[in-house]
Amino acid sequence: MKFDSNDLYASLMHELKNHLGLLAMTIDSIPLQNDPAHDGVVDDARLLCQRVVERLQQALLIYKAANGQIKPSIDAYSPEDLVRELRDTAVSLARGRLEVHCGIAPETPAIAFFDRTLIEMALINAIHNALAYARTAIWIEAGIEAGRLTLTVRDDSEGFPEPILSGYTSDAPNRSGGTGLGLHFARMIAETHVNQGRGGELRLANQNGAVFCVLLP
Amino acid sequence: MAQNAVNRGNDELINYAALRALVVDDYPGMRSALKLTLSNFGVTKIQMAGSATEAISRIQNNTFDFILCDFNLGEGRDGQQLLEELRHRGLINLDTVFIMVTAESIYEKVAATAELAPDDYMIKPFSAEVLRNRLESILLRKLAFKEIYRHFKEHDLVAALHGCDRLIDSKPKYLVDALRFKGELLNALGRFEEAEALYRQIINMRAIPWARLGLANALHLQKKDAQAEEELRDVLVQAPEMVAAYDMLANVCLARNDSAGAQAVLEQGVAISGKTVRRQQKLGEIAHANGDLESARKAYATALDKGRHSVFVTPTDYGNLCQVQLEQGDLKAVAETLKNAKNILQASTDGQLVMAVVQGVAQQQAGKPEEADKFLREAARLRSDGASADAPLLLKMAETWMAGGQLEAADSLINEVARNAHDSDVLLEKAKQIYLAAGREDVGASNLKAATADVRKLNNEGVLLAQKGEYRQAVDKLLAACHEAPRNPRIIMNAVWVVLKCIDLEGMDEELLEQARRYLDEAARQAPGHSRIAGLRLHMKEIENKFGIRRRSAT
Ligand SMILES: Nc1ncnc2c1ncn2[C@@H]1O[C@H](COP(=O)(O)OP(=O)(O)OP(=O)(O)O)[C@@H](O)[C@H]1O
Repeated sequence: MKFDSNDLYASLMHELKNHLGLLAMTIDSIPLQNDPAHDGVVDDARLLCQRVVERLQQALLIYKAANGQIKPSIDAYSPEDLVRELRDTAVSLARGRLEVHCGIAPETPAIAFFDRTLIEMALINAIHNALAYARTAIWIEAGIEAGRLTLTVRDDSEGFPEPILSGYTSDAPNRSGGTGLGLHFARMIAETHVNQGRGGELRLANQNGAVFCVLLP
Repeated sequence: MAQNAVNRGNDELINYAALRALVVDDYPGMRSALKLTLSNFGVTKIQMAGSATEAISRIQNNTFDFILCDFNLGEGRDGQQLLEELRHRGLINLDTVFIMVTAESIYEKVAATAELAPDDYMIKPFSAEVLRNRLESILLRKLAFKEIYRHFKEHDLVAALHGCDRLIDSKPKYLVDALRFKGELLNALGRFEEAEALYRQIINMRAIPWARLGLANALHLQKKDAQAEEELRDVLVQAPEMVAAYDMLANVCLARNDSAGAQAVLEQGVAISGKTVRRQQKLGEIAHANGDLESARKAYATALDKGRHSVFVTPTDYGNLCQVQLEQGDLKAVAETLKNAKNILQASTDGQLVMAVVQGVAQQQAGKPEEADKFLREAARLRSDGASADAPLLLKMAETWMAGGQLEAADSLINEVARNAHDSDVLLEKAKQIYLAAGREDVGASNLKAATADVRKLNNEGVLLAQKGEYRQAVDKLLAACHEAPRNPRIIMNAVWVVLKCIDLEGMDEELLEQARRYLDEAARQAPGHSRIAGLRLHMKEIENKFGIRRRSAT
C-alpha cells in the first residue's frame, strides 16, 4: 500500500480533532460531586483539554501560514452574539472560581464583518490567559473606536510583563513553559483583517490588570 | 463605560424540550457524545443516523426542527450532498435548522449560495456552550423571518419581499440576512436590475464573496455577461476555493458562446470539489458537446460513481455515458456500463428505454442489424407506453434507424425532436449532421424545416394575436402549438402566459387554468430554473387569488 502524505496528514488531523472533541465532551459529562478533591481535578482536566485544543489550532495555523494561506473568510456577524458565546465559554471554564462579566457598549454596531473562526480563536486564547492570571474577575466587551470594532478581554491580574508590552517577542520558545504563540497569532489574525486600506490591530495594555484588545476595521 | 446587558432572556421564546433533533455522524461515539451535549441544555427529543441514507429515511418519516450533521460521513454521500438533496427534494424547508459540523474552516467557502448553505457551521472541536449559542441565534433569526418564510412557501414572493423590507428597516441585526434573502427573491421575480443594485449595496458595506456572486448572477440574468465574467474572475483570484463561482462562470461562458472556456472553468471547479454530481454532469455535457470524448466519459462516469444513490442521477446519466462510449467505439465498455447498472435501469420504464436504445445502437455498430432492430422495436414500444428519454438519446435512436434503412421511422422521430426543440441550435445541428452522414441532406433539410416551421408559425401567430389583444384566438393558436410540441419549454411558457392573460381579462375558465398549471410544471421539468418560470408561477397565483381559486397543494 502506498501512502499519500497529504491525504494521510489530512485524515490524521481529522481523527485528532474528532478525538479531542470527544474527550472534551466526555469531560463535560462528568457530574460534579461538590467535593473539591474530585471537582478540582475535573476542572483541571477541562482546562488542560482546552489548552490542547488551542495548541492544535495553533499548529494548524502555522501549517497554513507556512503555505501562505491565512486568508480571513469574512462574513457578517453579530458582535453581541460573539460576546455572549465567549462569556458562556468563559463561565463554563471558570466554574465559579472567578467572576465573568461582559458588556456591549451602546454604540456597538448590530453587525460587523470579520472571520468568526479566527477571531474566536484569538479571543479564547486571551480568555484562557485571563482565567489563569486574574485574581477575582475577567471582563469580555465589545465596542467601537474611531470606526473600528473593538473586542476586549480584561482581567484584574498583575498585568502583562513589561517585555510583552514593549513588543518584545523572542523567536525561541521562551520561559515558563509558554511559547508566546497565543499573542503572536492574535496579532497576526487582527492584522489580516484589512478593509479599504485600514488594517486590524492588537493592542495590549495594563490598566488595573491586563487589557487585551482586538481592533477590526 | 455604559454597557447594555447581554442576557437575552429567551427562555420563553425557545423551548428546547420541544425541539425535535436529528444527529447525523458516521462515528457512533461521536453520535452519543453529541446527544449528551444536546441533552445538557434541554434538547431531549433526539434521533440519530449514521449515514446520509439513514438520515433521509428518518427525515421522510419524521419531522425535525433541527439537524446537526457532520460534513464527513465516511463512505457514500457527505453532509453537503445530503443537504443539497434534502433541499432539492423539499424534505426540509426554511424553518428547519441545519448545522454542519466540519473539521476544516475552509469548508465555509465551498457552499456560497443560500440555497446550498447550511444555517451555520461548527468547527470541531467545539463546546456545548458554543453549540447552544449558535442554535439559539439561528432559532431567533428564524423567528424573525417566520412571516417571510411563510409567504415564500405560499409562492407569494412579493409579500415575502415586503417582509424583508420591514426587517431591513426595523432589525439592524438581521440587515444582511434580510438583504441576502431579498436579493434571491428579486432574481426569482425577474427584477434583475433591482437585484444588481441590492448586491452593490451589500458590497459597499463589505465585498463579501457571496454578495459578489449574487451580483454576478444578477448581471448574467440581465445578459451583461462580460461584466459578470469580470466579476467572477476577480472573485476567483481572491478566493480560488469558491467552487460556486466556477459553476456560475461556466454558465456565463456558455452564454458568451465560449464552450471551451466553460469546460476549462468547470475542470478547475471539479479539481477542488469533485463530489458534486451536478457539476460532473454539467462538465460531461459540455465536454461532450466540445467533442472531448475522453473528458466527457470521465466526468459522466464520476457523476454516476459519486451519485449512485442520489436523486440527481437519472437513467439519462447512464445513457450519456453509454453514448460517449459508443462514439468512442468502445462496445466492451458499453456492455460493462449496462451490466453494472442493470438493476437500476430495469426498475423504471425510462431506464428500460435507455437500455433498449443503447443496446440497439451497440448492435448496429457491431454489424448486427437484426439484433439492433429488435432492441429498437422494444424502445419504440416503451415509448408508446409512455416512457420518455431526452433529445440526444432519441436522436441516437433515429440515427440508428436511418443506418438500418428504416427511413420513415427515423424521419418521424427526428421531426418530433425538432418540434420540441425548434429554437435549440445545438440539437438541430446534431440532427442535420445525422442526415449529412446518411447522405440525405436534402430530405433532412426539408424535414427539419417542416418540423420547426409549423411550431414557429403557430407560436408567432399566437404571440402576435396576444399583442393585438385578441387573447381568445391567441390561446387557440398556442395550445395548438403545444399539441405539436408538448415538450418545448419556450412554446409551453408562451401558452401559459396567454392563458393567464386571457383568464385575467375575460374571466375564469377552470379547465384552461388547470391545463396551464400542468404545462407550467412540464416547462419547469424541461427547463429547470428558467428565469421566466418564477414569474409565471407568481402570475398564476395572482389569478388564483383574484378568482378565489384555492391551490390544491404548493408544488
Ligand atoms: N491576562 C494576562 N495577565 C498576565 N500575563 C499575561 C496575560 N496573558 C498573557 N500573559 C503573559 O504573556 C505571555 C504570552 O502569552 P501567550 O498567550 O502569547 O503565550 P502562550 O505560550 O500561548 O500561553 P501560555 O504562556 O499561557 O502557555 C504569557 O506567558 C504570560 O506571561
